[in-house]
Amino acid sequence: MAVTSERDDPSFPVGAACRIDSRSPWRAIAEIPVGLDPEGIAVDNLRRRAFVACSRSDFVSVVDLETHEVITEIATGSEPIDIGLDEETGRVFSADAHSDQVTIIDSATLEVETALPVGGYPSGLTHVPEFRRLYIGNSLGSTMTVIDLDTLETVATVDAEPGAGAIGVDPTRRLAVCVNFVAASANFYDADSFEEVGRLELGVGTCAIGIVPERGEAFIVNSIAGTVSRVDLDAIEVVEEIRTGQAPVGLTVAPAHDRIYVTNRGAGSLSVLGVADGVEWSQIPVGHGPGGVVVDPHDGRILVANAGSQTMSIVEDLLAVRPPAPVIEEPSAFIGGKLPAFALEDYWTGERKTNHDWAEKKYILNFFASW
Amino acid sequence: MLVDIWEGTEPRPEVERFCEMWGIKGPILLDPGAELAGALGVRGVPTNVVVDSDGTIRAFGAARLDELEQAIDDLYGR
Repeated sequence: MAVTSERDDPSFPVGAACRIDSRSPWRAIAEIPVGLDPEGIAVDNLRRRAFVACSRSDFVSVVDLETHEVITEIATGSEPIDIGLDEETGRVFSADAHSDQVTIIDSATLEVETALPVGGYPSGLTHVPEFRRLYIGNSLGSTMTVIDLDTLETVATVDAEPGAGAIGVDPTRRLAVCVNFVAASANFYDADSFEEVGRLELGVGTCAIGIVPERGEAFIVNSIAGTVSRVDLDAIEVVEEIRTGQAPVGLTVAPAHDRIYVTNRGAGSLSVLGVADGVEWSQIPVGHGPGGVVVDPHDGRILVANAGSQTMSIVEDLLAVRPPAPVIEEPSAFIGGKLPAFALEDYWTGERKTNHDWAEKKYILNFFASW
Repeated sequence: MLVDIWEGTEPRPEVERFCEMWGIKGPILLDPGAELAGALGVRGVPTNVVVDSDGTIRAFGAARLDELEQAIDDLYGR
């Protein structure tokens, strides 16, 4: 785990009579069990609820953000993987990857209103209230579907590339950016005509995007490369590669646009990256295998979907500004020690295998999950 | 070797799909309760644990390709 090192605060001299120490730059609020493999989160600020797309459960968990309890589960299509909420209509949209559809839920009644067919394996979804549009990236279809938020009609289906998923929209430049996981690229479209106006080669495993319009920048996560690309939206070029924690997969821009939050699926943490300086300000521990991340507009708390622990974390980022010392990656305490004895089932043969089967051999254990 | 964890459901069908998708044929162990992962403090996937011939852990994490290559070079003294 990484920690942010801190110095003594000179405003509290040693021996002060009353000192409340808050040395950690974050605070854990809750970790709430939801369905299997939660991936996406949307916040209903009006009703103080979170909608969590639980892809392996084929439902959306609805969490009361005041009591931190699941109040209901709403069945969707197969493999709901991303989710968004339109405040104006009160509609919740879940991208059901394995059903090639978007399920629409009424956030007031918590009933399914309808489902719309989209392209093959929709895995990313972005709703843009300024344009009254919903953008969906279809990974197997290699397309981007655009839906009218009010009429629910499909406005356009645009060619993208293999692994199309996350989409970012810059309302200032009227630019839509589709990120392609398999192709390791991004396509740039005119948001009105849907004509492609640019393309970028990116790092391996591109899978999330955030836009900071006033800086003319996009931040794109490269999960396998372990970086975030800073992209100049006017020049359509990568201007910086920012290192994060292990296997970053999710990203959201903080409301103040001074930092971005990136979930590190390989580290079980959330990186806080400065927008202006491109420096990792801190890493906040969350649940196992985190993915989707959003900020609750009500209180600025960060909600994280943890695919591994099947929970939603709620944490607070307590940093007012960039800390004086950078994040320090602490090596695992197990390095230099002996591997614990194990006896696990061999997937191919069904036999029990133990560490003795690999005695006197050099090897790598690669912990993985299929999601 | 691969160690499957955190499926949240019966792992075999999930691993089967995963192997078909990625063409994986190498050794795979199932750790459905994440017991070994828990004993090692694994918090995310992928996590690589590099083990020397005497059972000593030489590297942990190494999810990035360059980190993994470096860990392997170190393991073999290259």
